[in-house]
Order: sequence, then C-alpha cells, then structure tokens
Amino acid sequence: MTVTPAPIAVGVLALQGGVAEHLALLRRAAALLLSAPSQPLATLAFTFTEVRTAPQLARCDALIIPGGESTTMAIVAQRLGLLDPLRDFVKTQQKPTWGTCAGLVLLSARASATKQGGQQLIGGLDVAVQRNRYGTQLQSFVAELSLPFLQDEGGEGGAPPFRGVFIRAPVVEEVDVAPSSEEEGALDGEGGQTGLTGTKEKEMKKKGKGPPVEVLGVYRGRDADGAEMEDIVAVRQGNVFGTSFHPELTDDVRIHVWWLRQVVDALRHGELVVGGV
Amino acid sequence: MATNSAANGGSNDTFVVKAGLAQMLKGGVIMDVTTAAEARIAEEAGAVAVMALERIPSDIRALGGVARMSNPTMIREIQAAVTIPVMAKARIGHVVECQILEALDVDYIDESEVLTPADDAFHVAKTPFKIPFVCGCRNLGEALRRIAEGAAMIRTKGEAGTGDVVEAVKHIRTVNADIARAKAALANGGDLAITALARELECDVALLRQTAELGRLPVVNFAAGGVATPADAALMMHLGCDGVFVGSGIFKGAKDAEHAARRARAIVKATAHYTDHKALIEACIEHGEAMKGISNAELKPEEKMSGRGW
Repeated sequence: MTVTPAPIAVGVLALQGGVAEHLALLRRAAALLLSAPSQPLATLAFTFTEVRTAPQLARCDALIIPGGESTTMAIVAQRLGLLDPLRDFVKTQQKPTWGTCAGLVLLSARASATKQGGQQLIGGLDVAVQRNRYGTQLQSFVAELSLPFLQDEGGEGGAPPFRGVFIRAPVVEEVDVAPSSEEEGALDGEGGQTGLTGTKEKEMKKKGKGPPVEVLGVYRGRDADGAEMEDIVAVRQGNVFGTSFHPELTDDVRIHVWWLRQVVDALRHGELVVGGV
Repeated sequence: MATNSAANGGSNDTFVVKAGLAQMLKGGVIMDVTTAAEARIAEEAGAVAVMALERIPSDIRALGGVARMSNPTMIREIQAAVTIPVMAKARIGHVVECQILEALDVDYIDESEVLTPADDAFHVAKTPFKIPFVCGCRNLGEALRRIAEGAAMIRTKGEAGTGDVVEAVKHIRTVNADIARAKAALANGGDLAITALARELECDVALLRQTAELGRLPVVNFAAGGVATPADAALMMHLGCDGVFVGSGIFKGAKDAEHAARRARAIVKATAHYTDHKALIEACIEHGEAMKGISNAELKPEEKMSGRGW
C-alpha cells in the first residue's frame, strides 16, 4: 500500500457544549493511532474540525455530537435548518456518529423527561432515553465502568476501568430492538460484552432488518433507596454510538482511540461494521 | 481543559463534576428569570440554564434596599417548570443562604455582588459544598482567589443592571492581559517570576502557574454584567468568553412576552454564531429595541456593584 488516501474528516458539532474537549482528545487519539509501529493505520491522516453549518457537515466522514444542553442544541440546530442534514448524515448516509450525554439524547429515537412540549431529536439509535436520569447536579457523579469493548485498548492484562463522568446524565431506559438471547445473557452476566459478529449482522441485513442495538456499557449502582440498579450507559447500533457519560471530561483517550478505529473500519469497508478492528 | 481540576483543593472527582457542568454550558446563554413563565421563555429560546432571582438587576438597582437570596417557593416553581439547569444567587459570604440553596437542589450557586454582601471580609468557602459555585471577577487575581476557595466557574462582574457593556469588556480585557503577563512570566522567569506575579496579583502560586501553562483560566469563564444586545453577547465571545449571562437584557423594557422571547432567541443565536455576520444581522433584527439602560459613566462609585467583594 503506497497510495496515500485522503485524510479522514472528523467533525465535532459546535453549536454549544464540550467541543474543545473532544477535539483535544481526538487529536491525542489520532497521534496514538498513527504512531503505533504495528498499526496498519500508519498511512492514514485525520482532520478534525468544528461543524456549525450544513456545508461543513457535508465535508465530514464522521461526527461527534458533544455533551451540552440537548434542548439548546436541538433549538439552535432547528433554527439553522441543520436537523434534516444531521438526520441524513446519521440515518441515510449512515456515516459514523458518536454522541456523548446530550449527543446520546439527540441520537435516540425517543426521549423522556424533556422540556414541556418535547424536543426535536436526530435519531439513529433505536433506543428510548430518559434525560437527567439521576436528577440535578447534586446527583452528578464519577464512577468506574467496566467497558469490555475497550479490552484491546488496555494492553497486557486487560483494560483498567474507565472513569465515567456523569453530569445530569441520561440513560438508555429501553432498547426497542428485541435483543437476542446472547445479548440478554451478557446484560445479566458479569461485564459480558455483547456484540454480534459481522457475518451475523450481514445475515440480519439480508433478512431486511437493520443492525441490532448493542449494549456496550452498563453502570451498576444503587438508587436513593439502596436498591441495586443496572443502567445502560453505552450503546451502538451500526455506525451510531452513544454514551451517557463524558469521556471528554477525562484524560483517558481510550474510547476516542477505539472510536477512530471504528470510523476507519466503517469507511474502509464502505458498509456497516460490527466488532473490533 | 480536561486537566483543569489538578490544582484545586478537595476531591478531584468532585471538582471534575462541578467544573464539568460549566464546560457543558459553553457557547450558551444563561438568562436571569424571576418567574416560572419567564423560565419557560428562556428554555424555549434555547438558554443553556436559567438564573432564578427575585428581581432582575436593573430593578434591584432602581429599588434600592437590601437584595437577598430568592424566595424558595419561586425557585421551586422555576425548577418545576424547566428541565435545563437552574442556578440561584446567594449573597457574598452568606454560608447559610448557600446551604439553603444546596438543600433546594439547585444546579449552581452564584455567589453574587448583585446582591447585598453579607460579609465584608470573606467570601464563602466553596470547596466543602457538593454544589458548584460561579463567582464574579474583575481581573485574574480575583478569579484565582475565587477558584482557590472552590469556585468551579468564573464570570466577569461587569456592571449588572445597566445594559452598558463597558465594564464587562474592561474585566475580560484585564483578565486576558493578566494571563498574557503570567505566560510571559513563566516563559521568561520561571518559578521566581510566577511567584512574584502571584504576590502582585494576590493569588495562589500553583493556580497562577496552571493558568500560565494553559494560557487561559483553569475553569470556564462567562461574560456577565451589562450584556444587553446580540452584538454585546457576540462581542464578549469575540473577546474570549466561553458564554454569556444576560440579566436585565431580556425582560427589562420588553413590550410583551413575545418581544422578550424574540430578544432571548436573538441573543442565543448571536452567542452560538458570533463570527457569522449574516447570523448577527438576523439576530439584531429579531432582537428589536433594547433596554434603555444606564451609562456606566453616570454611576457614582457607591452605586457600582462590581466593587463588592475583593
């Protein structure tokens, strides 16, 4: 391979919120990916840009929708006429998109605990989210998460826990696509990773079904009454990825590295990709 | 800014969560509201948060007397009406007003010079609180003193309730100039120069060093105090603020709720698209007539709120 491909253009939706934080981690993640000597990605190049307009969005191969206030982002995007281009980007063109916190809300099919009259959504993930699941800022927290999809990012001895920063965070309360039996098993099991193989997904597509929603992360905590709870905090469906928490508020670059690999895979194969690199 | 908690006292995770909410408000507008109906107007216009207070600053100014923490009933009505974060103001140094607001489960406390100070020597020790605080500043030393006390967000003081942006501009310019001095001090004189500058600015050495290394305040910094029009909001963004508070500028002198809503939408648009001149023209047209205001130059020193605190 001596051909130098065009740089992969990754945008961060910059209507409001934690834009600079994502850009900083994306740049670090790309540097890591491109410097790894054994990586077949060494010939790649990335560009990272803020996205405020439809023409800027059209130039992107992949997009992050950052944390912020989802009501504000939806209102600003609507007034700009950006909602339909975003829906086209995510759902029709199926370009890789990752939403954190407010971004997860916007990428969900349904959202509850929204402002009076509801709010506009982009969609892309067949899930229902509850906004502000844990309450007000006083209930915001940091928790260690076991994220099996990061197992390849941890080097020898597996991946250490990821510090999940949950700020007035939403959670996925309903996964609309009926999970397969192995997914249910994984949810109940100890840190089990869900995830169908690429072959299996292609089979499902042949049958006319879209890709399934995969649960990639669960937060196990206790509610106000001390009862155990299991909240879905990371999901993926095809090329759409969402997290309740804010990797961009940590120094931990692993999820950004993982996601860039997913982006590269999706673009390289020119089709939906499931599974690790 | 992912490392911005390093130099702060208190638990690292707690500060990450406190400062993190402010980071999620960046690029947005926080609006002063006095009723649930005004809070709904703000939310529908795209405000990232509302500041619940008894009277908007221009009315506090006109009315005189002692301005205190808001009535809990009003705060609860506003909390029930909107899903965006609700902030509320406590008097400078009034620990118990802060405890009450924390118990009310507001999302952020503004220890604010707009209210009548309760303590003429000390600000509230903010680190022990679980709830985050935003505080005003006129310069870098004042900002870093508040951060050392535990503030997780800073805003310019400006001159609230005037509709005159000149003081807010002066304060962000001063902060920026002080940061440039700190960067130069670190580059040219290292530790000794940073220590000397910290003595001059009356602030913590480690926080000043962190600021010099980052080239910006170690927490989010909003504009406040006199921002009245879309162009004012865009100006403050242009000068490097992370977002804006609009106090009296939305509801003061608005013809009706519809006019207030238009003003609110226009300021949100101007803040989000502060470099887009076409969007700014649209915002100015949408905004319509601005509050009349009071020229800062006409205020006597004792009439200024920004001199409160230290």
